Amino acid sequence: MAAGPRVAVVVFPGTNSEDETLRAVRAVGLQGELVHWSQPEALARFDAFVLPGGFAYEDRIRAGAVAAHDAVMDPVIEAAQAGKFVLGICNGAQILAEAGLVPGTGPLRLPTAAFAPNASGRFQSVHVHVKLSVTLDRVPILGGIEDGAVIPAWASHGDGRLAAPADELARIERDGHLAFIYCDRHGNPVSAPNGAALDCAGLVNRDGNVLAIMPHPERDGWTFQHLDDSRDVARGDTAATLAPSGGIRFFEHFAQAVRERFSA
Amino acid sequence: MMTAAHDDAVALGRTLGVALSDDEIRRIAEHLGRVPSATELFAFDAQWSEHCSYKSSREHLKKLPTEGPTVLLGVGEDAGIVRLGEWQGETYGIVVAHESHNHPSQVVPFEGAATGIGGIVRDVLCMGAEVIGVADPLRFGRLENEHCRYVAQQVVDGIAAYGNAIGVPNVGGDVFFDSSFDDNVLVNVVALGLVKEKDIIHSRAPEGSVGWDIVLVGKATDRSGFGGASFSSLTLDEDDAEANKGAVQVPDPFLKNVIMRASYAVFAALREQGLTVGFKDLGAGGLAGCSAELCAAGGVGAEVELERVSTAQRDLPPEVIAIGETQERLCWIVPPSFTPTLLALYNEMYSLPRVARGACAAVIGKVTDTRRYVARYRNETVMDVDLEFLTGGVRYSRPYTIAPVEIEPRDARVRDVEAAFPPGGSDLIGRLRAVLAHRDVCSRASIYQRYDGVVRGCTAIPPGYADAGVLVPIPGAPLAFAVGIGGNPRYGAIDPRRAAELAVVEAVAQVTAVGALPVGLTDCLNFGDPTIPEQMGAFVAAVEGLSEAARALDVPFVSGNVSLYNRSSSGNHVAPSPIVGCVGTIADVTHTASAALKRAGSALFVLGVPQLAYGGTVIAEVAGLSTRALPQMDYEGFAEACAVVRAGFERGFVLASRDVSDGGVLTAIAEMAFGSLAGIGAELNHTDAFFVEIDARGRNWTNNAVWFAEFPGFVCEVDAERAAAFAELAAKHGVRAREVGETIGRAELDYNGQRAPIAELRSIWDAPLRDFYGASSGPS
Repeated sequence: MAAGPRVAVVVFPGTNSEDETLRAVRAVGLQGELVHWSQPEALARFDAFVLPGGFAYEDRIRAGAVAAHDAVMDPVIEAAQAGKFVLGICNGAQILAEAGLVPGTGPLRLPTAAFAPNASGRFQSVHVHVKLSVTLDRVPILGGIEDGAVIPAWASHGDGRLAAPADELARIERDGHLAFIYCDRHGNPVSAPNGAALDCAGLVNRDGNVLAIMPHPERDGWTFQHLDDSRDVARGDTAATLAPSGGIRFFEHFAQAVRERFSA
Repeated sequence: MMTAAHDDAVALGRTLGVALSDDEIRRIAEHLGRVPSATELFAFDAQWSEHCSYKSSREHLKKLPTEGPTVLLGVGEDAGIVRLGEWQGETYGIVVAHESHNHPSQVVPFEGAATGIGGIVRDVLCMGAEVIGVADPLRFGRLENEHCRYVAQQVVDGIAAYGNAIGVPNVGGDVFFDSSFDDNVLVNVVALGLVKEKDIIHSRAPEGSVGWDIVLVGKATDRSGFGGASFSSLTLDEDDAEANKGAVQVPDPFLKNVIMRASYAVFAALREQGLTVGFKDLGAGGLAGCSAELCAAGGVGAEVELERVSTAQRDLPPEVIAIGETQERLCWIVPPSFTPTLLALYNEMYSLPRVARGACAAVIGKVTDTRRYVARYRNETVMDVDLEFLTGGVRYSRPYTIAPVEIEPRDARVRDVEAAFPPGGSDLIGRLRAVLAHRDVCSRASIYQRYDGVVRGCTAIPPGYADAGVLVPIPGAPLAFAVGIGGNPRYGAIDPRRAAELAVVEAVAQVTAVGALPVGLTDCLNFGDPTIPEQMGAFVAAVEGLSEAARALDVPFVSGNVSLYNRSSSGNHVAPSPIVGCVGTIADVTHTASAALKRAGSALFVLGVPQLAYGGTVIAEVAGLSTRALPQMDYEGFAEACAVVRAGFERGFVLASRDVSDGGVLTAIAEMAFGSLAGIGAELNHTDAFFVEIDARGRNWTNNAVWFAEFPGFVCEVDAERAAAFAELAAKHGVRAREVGETIGRAELDYNGQRAPIAELRSIWDAPLRDFYGASSGPS
């Protein structure tokens, strides 16, 4: 394979979404590889990082809290500070918040905002849509994404409720850290199913190179996974049914950003 | 022959509290020619328990059909395997296992339900498969009862906590509420795996394995779960509740998550080296049970050093190390040349010791050619028994009586129905509201939304979007499969045999309703105390029913489980509950569809023939019918109806389908509308053409109650332009297909002018369990 940007999908003890995340990364043409917690030294040679969903270290203390202190996060944090792209989905998002990388307004590994237990107190798996709610210059990690883009995804988590002190929430909103909010399929904002402050579905850091998103776009990334008309339209067409679409657009924008950065 | 040694053995057994009978203990002492050690007695206690040996059920289970062209691996190992299909020159199989965790779930519901998943997942894993799905049939007591409410909450929490953490999607299941489960909850679990036919690993020491290593992998052994197998085979007694809690294992799904992934890495290493090995999970009977069964199946022996087992506490007695049922453990038999690779993958790459204290992979013994199981602890032999004698178990031919089922004559059934549904019209929508609010019909969303149904990214139809969940397990391949579950306790209470037949039909109908071809069945048989002839008779009758239905529909059983003694000390037996799972394959995922109504102007067809048989139905309870008549079986007609639905999917005629089950046709149509994102409703206007029976005197007889009749059949939304072709297809198969109405572009149910908004009906359907389990929401 020609030399191109390499993307590490970082696996912690308790990660459970690494396969579909790797599949999405590869489907958009990136060279993705799984890297386990026992091999932090391997991370040096990667150009971008994805932290997938699951329950790293049993979500002890708070979801993502122990993982944020794992040695395998050292090279990820270094890379983020060097401006490399780091994407966290679900548990990965929680880890990025606990590592202090998003919203990134405080010191490392001292979170200013966290993804707390859902308002229901329980794990919940529901289909959702999320909408880009910042200006494009705030999310260079999603190269070429259009204003107000609506992405289908599954919110499958027990701890997805953004919680932070009032002044931090105000900062998140004011300074463009509120990358994604929940919406309906037409893009109309809806209440977060988990009770998140600001109806937040995703946070971005100041430089726009670290993005944390709670719902899983990779679980609605192929036509056969869609719950809307698009699947009905593809009935009888095998290739169209198996084709990447919907949530995969999120990864296409990530790939565009990673590729542009790599060739720059 | 009675000797002092036999009496000493019996006395020891009673002191230790094993569940073996006096006669069984004497047999063991006689065979050994001495008083057995404590470790030996506990080993026999587990191996000869109902749970492990199927001692009461085995002779009847032989009646089930277990062979066919779709079977890659039949009954006999930890799980069966059915053929999924070919992809890129390889044959793929779906591993199917079924387990109950009823007793543990009654005593400590959270841990009991969680370890139910944990155990069955290992049964799939040890076939060399990736675990790709689970489904839970649940039978709860009445929610009016406080303890039942607690159990019903905790069981769901336990399933969620375990399944979500290991990252295996929950793709279906069912839930019924019935007073017969007040003292004995039923928690069954189906687990599914994906494996290439050539990569199947068997649960036996391979040929030529003498001298190989026995490797124990997983959690550090502790006292939890000691005596679990024999506990599962006892009647639950209130007074023992506290004592029984110790027999329930402690789950660690996070460790399991890592063990599963490490095992996948081992599978890859084995494929690379082309090695044939043995692999089996530790379940009932613990380490001794597992390694003994591995070696017995391979015709070899074992020598195990118990002090090599990693333990969580110091100085555990040898019988606890040997027999305890600590969770999250597996056993390998591998050539010594492979052992370093195996240990490195578990202990270093996946760093089990870092993940959980004391967790590891360690060599604990050797395979021998003695056909004996020898275990030593601190240089003392604590177990030395003939493997065949230990694992061959015991058999009982329990006496049974099958009670005849009385069915009222037709005239009485007509009177019964007409009293509740007077001829000349009635408020059908009002009846529908009551049916939708029924505990066995109302939305299960607030339960299945607690489970991750989409992790792994292979889910094509998540739970709740159709009768059966659908997975596309091989990325890039169009091969898909569906899982359906049947087993209505209200039928079971009336006629266990017919209930078993209807359970097979329901499971088959569910997979058919997403366009799948049924290829394999799995059963979990939940019954009362087999020492009571009527209870044993219900079991025997149910097995006969399963057998007849499976043969008639030509779908083999590939795995199963028996759970007896589901009886409380107050004498409350569970309703006879043969629960059946069906795996159906879909050659191309493009031909499946959710059950949601898709577009306005489609034709609504009903396939199948309703009968004047309302026994055990939801409408019988709602409208106060007293009948006990269950549907007569017409397997040929049902099989043809299934063929029509499948062909309808493949040819693009059928846009959505549901089988006719709890609540009947009108309920099925309402539920299809509830799933519609586009706000599609239904107008039922050809109602005259529907459900006219010819009575014994040749007269037409019909009644509105037929809209709620439960019978083997389907509702199909058919593309308007293909309606004629679909009707023709049905006619060609000799299937009664009646067009009863059409879909409409407004979210309304309209039955001959009786109207209700879909949103209003949906809120009735959503409410009961949402109020109990918490928030739920519809598709976005």
